Amino acid sequence: MTALSVHQINKYFHEPVNFHVLKDISFEVTKGEFVAIIGKSGSGKSTLLYLLSTMDTDYGGSIAINGTQVTGLKQNQLAKFRNEHIGFVFQFHFLLPEFSVLDNVMLPALKLKKKGKEEIEHEALELLSMLGLNGQEHKRASRISGGQQQRVAIARALINGPAIIMGDEPTGNLDSKNTKIVFDIFRRLAKERGQTIIAVTHDDEFAANCDRIIELSDGVLI
Amino acid sequence: MNINQKIASVLLTSRLRQLMVAVLSVTFGISMYVFMNSFMAGVNNQQTEITFTSMAHIKIYNDLSDEVKPIMPVPADTHTVIMVNNARNIRYTEGIKNADGIKEQLSTHDEITGITAQLNQNVFLRNGVSKISAMLSGVETISEDQVFKTSEYLVEGDLQDLDKRSDGIILGISLAKGIGVHTGDNVAVITSDGISKSFKVVGLLETGASAADKTKAIVSIQTARQLFSKNKSYATEILVNIKDYALAQKIAGQLSSLTRYKVEPWQEGNSQLDSANVLRDIIAIAVSLTILIVAGFGIYNIMNMTVNEKIKEIAILKAMGFNGKDVIEIFLTQSVVIGLMGGLTGLVLGRIIVSIVDNIPFKIATLTTLPVEYRTSDYLMAFCFGIIITFLAGYLPARKASKIDPVDILRG
Repeated sequence: MTALSVHQINKYFHEPVNFHVLKDISFEVTKGEFVAIIGKSGSGKSTLLYLLSTMDTDYGGSIAINGTQVTGLKQNQLAKFRNEHIGFVFQFHFLLPEFSVLDNVMLPALKLKKKGKEEIEHEALELLSMLGLNGQEHKRASRISGGQQQRVAIARALINGPAIIMGDEPTGNLDSKNTKIVFDIFRRLAKERGQTIIAVTHDDEFAANCDRIIELSDGVLI
Repeated sequence: MNINQKIASVLLTSRLRQLMVAVLSVTFGISMYVFMNSFMAGVNNQQTEITFTSMAHIKIYNDLSDEVKPIMPVPADTHTVIMVNNARNIRYTEGIKNADGIKEQLSTHDEITGITAQLNQNVFLRNGVSKISAMLSGVETISEDQVFKTSEYLVEGDLQDLDKRSDGIILGISLAKGIGVHTGDNVAVITSDGISKSFKVVGLLETGASAADKTKAIVSIQTARQLFSKNKSYATEILVNIKDYALAQKIAGQLSSLTRYKVEPWQEGNSQLDSANVLRDIIAIAVSLTILIVAGFGIYNIMNMTVNEKIKEIAILKAMGFNGKDVIEIFLTQSVVIGLMGGLTGLVLGRIIVSIVDNIPFKIATLTTLPVEYRTSDYLMAFCFGIIITFLAGYLPARKASKIDPVDILRG
């Protein structure tokens, strides 16, 4: 089953000069696949990820996620779609520092409002314990270590059971031990829960262990 | 509490000092609004009260008619020219002959709270060699007191004494000093017709309006009628007080149909008082609104800072699926909460300031403390303005936050 389908994507930057960043990109990702997007700096891999994430809507071509055509949807519809179907993990955790770990994880689900507060809390606690964060739930997000923060961010990305998890250098800011932990989590998510993972990375070792590598060079797929 | 409000409350409470500053600026603005308006209303009321110690809301008197009928009809043909030299508008009657009848007629009007008749004439007062001109008022003591509260301004003597002895006179305090008499002394009153009568000073009057204190002499109306040899129901003017002095013009219009005499509301010929009241109100509102607007800028500044500080969090919220409306709600909630907190504390502080000012000694004229007025409408207005201004001040940064493009922020 196709989780993501990209058709003839073209993207231009207009500032400071006109620049053709992505050229005729087309590919498909099946459900449960763990894909790494690699390429040199400036090859357009992050730009591609932000297009896939639906946050950047200024492009030509079309993108479908989980069978839904997202190209052409309005901002508010896209926000709703992201909330339900896409989980994000960034290089920096971007947790809300004033909130507790548990509140941070619960946030997207409380926004989605598909489940009651008790159920959400229960699921969040389960996710946190799956990611080895028992005992940290009620600490403030700013009071735990960097590796733990990144795992909290992963838990937050998972809370609504998204079809796709997107990572922008998810391990870029972690030491090798924590990188391995995060990688193993992704691996397990893809295998056990059938979640599709697309991660932009610089880390060759990380990429080598993925199911599939998509390499970009000067805006073209190789 | 929904998720947006929860985020708002966490953002708000995470910076208590900023919250305090924002709340205090609103508090200050609103309390100043309450204070300024209460104080100005008090001053206006005081002014009006002083004004109405010597002036009634509506005055009825015998005026020269404005309509002067032509002496000869204008001829129809164009070959005749009429010239009338030195035409005059002559007063055929003087004063009001049947004051009692008119008073009875007026008393049926239910807006009227007090009616009194006066007989006013310019006279000379003489004490030995000193002679001074004065305005002699013959008054009906009981209704006079209802309309002007004259007895409150008597520093010596009693208004009713005028009824007890027909040669009693009450003098303005400066007037008495001017001719050198005290309570108990005799003074001669000389009318324009040359009649002279001796009176005994039974009281002294101090209204605070120096013009009145320097010229006013009061006797009973019967005595005055006798002195000027007028009939029993004669008066030069009938003075009427009504429930709301601001409506004087409207009610004067209604009354003028009841009588052929001139009915004059106080605003006519005293527009400077009216305009002073309005100007004071404008100043009060301008100053207090300025303070509120400055408070609004304070909130705008703080909310802007918060938005800039939290720009990454806003971006991540948007990435997670919060839309522009949610972001506006998050930030607007914060400023509205600031507005509500500042507004309520401002009302309390304003009330406290007003009651402190109410007790500040201020001994000029008839005042003992600074005048203030307690009006619920001032408090309601202050609160509404406060909320409106904080809402606007919060909305601009909130809208800015809602327009943040998460891609720009998250890509670094």
